[in-house]
Amino acid sequence: MTPLLEIKNLHVRFKIYEGELKVLNGVDMVIGEGEKVGLVGETGCGKTTTIKSVLRVLPTPPARISGGEIIYRGKDILKMKSAEIRSLRRGEMSAIFQDPLAALNPVFTVGHQLQDVIKYSSRVGGREHLSKKEIRARSIAVLKETGMPDSERILSNYPIQLSGGMRQRVCISEALSAAARLLMADEPTTNLDVTIQAQILRQLNELVAKRKPSILLISHSLGVVRNLTERVYVMYAGNMVEVARTKDLFADPLHPYAKALLKSVPKLTGEGISRGIRGRIPNYLNPPSGCRFHPRCDHAMPICEKERPTFFTTGDSDSHKVACFLYRR
Amino acid sequence: MSEEILTVENLKKYFVTKQGTVRAVDSVSFSVKQGETCGLVGESGSGKTTIAHTLVGIYEPTEGKAFFKGQNISKVFSQRPKTLKKEIRIVFQDPGSSLNPRRSIKQILELPLKVHRICSNSDRMGRVMQLLRMVELPPEDYMYKSPQVIGGGEKQMVAIARALAPNPSFVVLDEPTSALDVSVQAKIINLLMKLQQNFNLTYLFITHDLSLMRNVASRVVIMYLGKISEVAPTVEFFQNPLHPYTKMLLSSIPAVSDEEESLKPKEVLSRGEIPSPVNVPPGCSFHLRCPQKMEICSQVDPTMVEVEKDHLVRCHLFSDGREAT
Ligand SMILES: Nc1ncnc2c1ncn2[C@@H]1O[C@H](COP(=O)(O)OP(=O)(O)OP(=O)(O)O)[C@@H](O)[C@H]1O
Ligand SMILES: Nc1ncnc2c1ncn2[C@@H]1O[C@H](COP(=O)(O)OP(=O)(O)OP(=O)(O)O)[C@@H](O)[C@H]1O
Ligand code: SF4
Ligand code: SF4
Ligand SMILES: [Mg+2]
Ligand SMILES: [Mg+2]
Repeated sequence: MTPLLEIKNLHVRFKIYEGELKVLNGVDMVIGEGEKVGLVGETGCGKTTTIKSVLRVLPTPPARISGGEIIYRGKDILKMKSAEIRSLRRGEMSAIFQDPLAALNPVFTVGHQLQDVIKYSSRVGGREHLSKKEIRARSIAVLKETGMPDSERILSNYPIQLSGGMRQRVCISEALSAAARLLMADEPTTNLDVTIQAQILRQLNELVAKRKPSILLISHSLGVVRNLTERVYVMYAGNMVEVARTKDLFADPLHPYAKALLKSVPKLTGEGISRGIRGRIPNYLNPPSGCRFHPRCDHAMPICEKERPTFFTTGDSDSHKVACFLYRR
Repeated sequence: MSEEILTVENLKKYFVTKQGTVRAVDSVSFSVKQGETCGLVGESGSGKTTIAHTLVGIYEPTEGKAFFKGQNISKVFSQRPKTLKKEIRIVFQDPGSSLNPRRSIKQILELPLKVHRICSNSDRMGRVMQLLRMVELPPEDYMYKSPQVIGGGEKQMVAIARALAPNPSFVVLDEPTSALDVSVQAKIINLLMKLQQNFNLTYLFITHDLSLMRNVASRVVIMYLGKISEVAPTVEFFQNPLHPYTKMLLSSIPAVSDEEESLKPKEVLSRGEIPSPVNVPPGCSFHLRCPQKMEICSQVDPTMVEVEKDHLVRCHLFSDGREAT
């Protein structure tokens, strides 16, 4: 598969009063053309920071990209001029952000915002120049696609007048109406009930079948990731610690963090809530040396605090890789 | 354990907008027992947050009543008896926008302590640190940060700490962990459970995560389009779901293993458009999406019946003369 996006050894830091938060610590990731990739990991591990780096929307300062490359179709995004990256954002990459209320502008109606996106993306594509009426019709249609009741009311509402799930679907509609080659969805369905979630995931699947965009799906709902993606990355404290085909990861997670994460999923069988993982989210001002998981790992060895493990291939396919010294051969 | 701490009777909340009246909550009755965790699940936009906001006094109900420990709380916050104000607290759905980005976390947590006069000025700092430790955020790292610079999950931990600051007895948790990964969620839930035991807290727990609900709630209330469609004890709810919407919900759960897959009711494909609360369809509001709809369903709105002890359902499939109160 030809890579559409390749993130290489990405380092991102945030400047704060007390010093620098060393958040992304050499992130490596590949997304193929038309591939559906999942990204899971602990709260605060840097998932959103990763996609914001790709879109170049990190606020700098406080953020600083201190190393690495982000190659999109052969070109380094980090070296692009701002006009170039802006046209990519309008024409090729779209994102559904995690916090729908923050992503929507409170002073404009939903219709205003959605129609703006439609107007832009049709213009950037260059081909169409839509009339007001066509834009309105299209905005109603995309809202309907997300199973939204009375789209007409929604269009004239302000974001505050919608329920959480409705806001999220507005963001999804915006992302779906942009002409995307790469769709990055950060927790797109967390505020939705599972029946609507299932409908939206089916739509995403249809979109993939029709337009073949690549998808990066970030989600804490491991069930959603299992159902939608082909390959998954597991991230811990600013590093990718495991990558595998989705079914392999769920059947046989290898990294001690990935194992613990999967064990924490509440079960429908109702055996109670697990205890989670001992210890705390690492402090990015002074992150642990070597493997950043070592203070919480039950298998830590002397080498773990000295060196950062790189990806080791395991099993007989080289699609399953894990950054842990237990798997060094 | 069995005393009722909260009773809601025929609660209605309508919003008048230019496009018409939104019947966000339309005659809802339920009660919550002292010390229990009552789960509230349902369609996006079915009115769960509206109920939550009415209970904490952000909205005044259009009609109906709510009683907390026998006192009428169907008033907006500013008119509530002072003693009640600190008793009922809420953790909001959207942590990003509920925390003021221009305040430090310390200031955010101090505010309820000051408003409710929880501790002396000199103890306040200590209490803030204690609250942060309670939600596993090292105080020295977080106190002076703005909520803007922390991850979505960390924000929700701050929101939980803020809700617990004035020692409430009833906490509405509006999707408190939907922004968290499952391992942090597990910790927060364990913590919430521990706090519940220690301080005899009662929770109204809103979530879309049915697997989570399965493990935390003692009873589940299901809503669809402003109305309750089913109420059941949790175990009964999962073993013997009755309402067609409930079955659709359970069969849509994204499973994480084949074993779980086998526990779900056989696939009821979720389809159709959700009707609008401005234009509620006649009859049962679920009939546009219901795979089992009958003729009567588009004409007559079913009433609640008690099918088994404590198991109530509002659907014509079950309303053959066994009407409940
Ligand atoms: N603007 C900022 N200034 C300072 N620190 C920041 C900023 N944005 C993010 N961070 C820090 O970077 C870390 C990673 O944040 P990020 O939002 O990428 O996490 P995440 O993996 O998306 O988490 P979640 O699952 O909670 O959404 C966090 O610890 C956060 O405190
Ligand atoms: N302030 C408001 N003005 C007008 N309509 C409103 C307002 N607040 C909520 N609504 C409408 O009331 C209905 C119920 O919204 P509510 O937020 O209670 O849903 P919810 O069950 O919490 O949904 P979700 O699961 O998506 O959070 C929605 O149709 C929404 O548009
Ligand atoms: S490298 Fe060492 S500390 Fe890190 S996960 Fe593996 S065993 Fe644990
Ligand atoms: S009343 Fe009719 S339409 Fe409504 S849920 Fe029952 S069977 Fe379905
Ligand atoms: Mg995030
Ligand atoms: Mg809500």
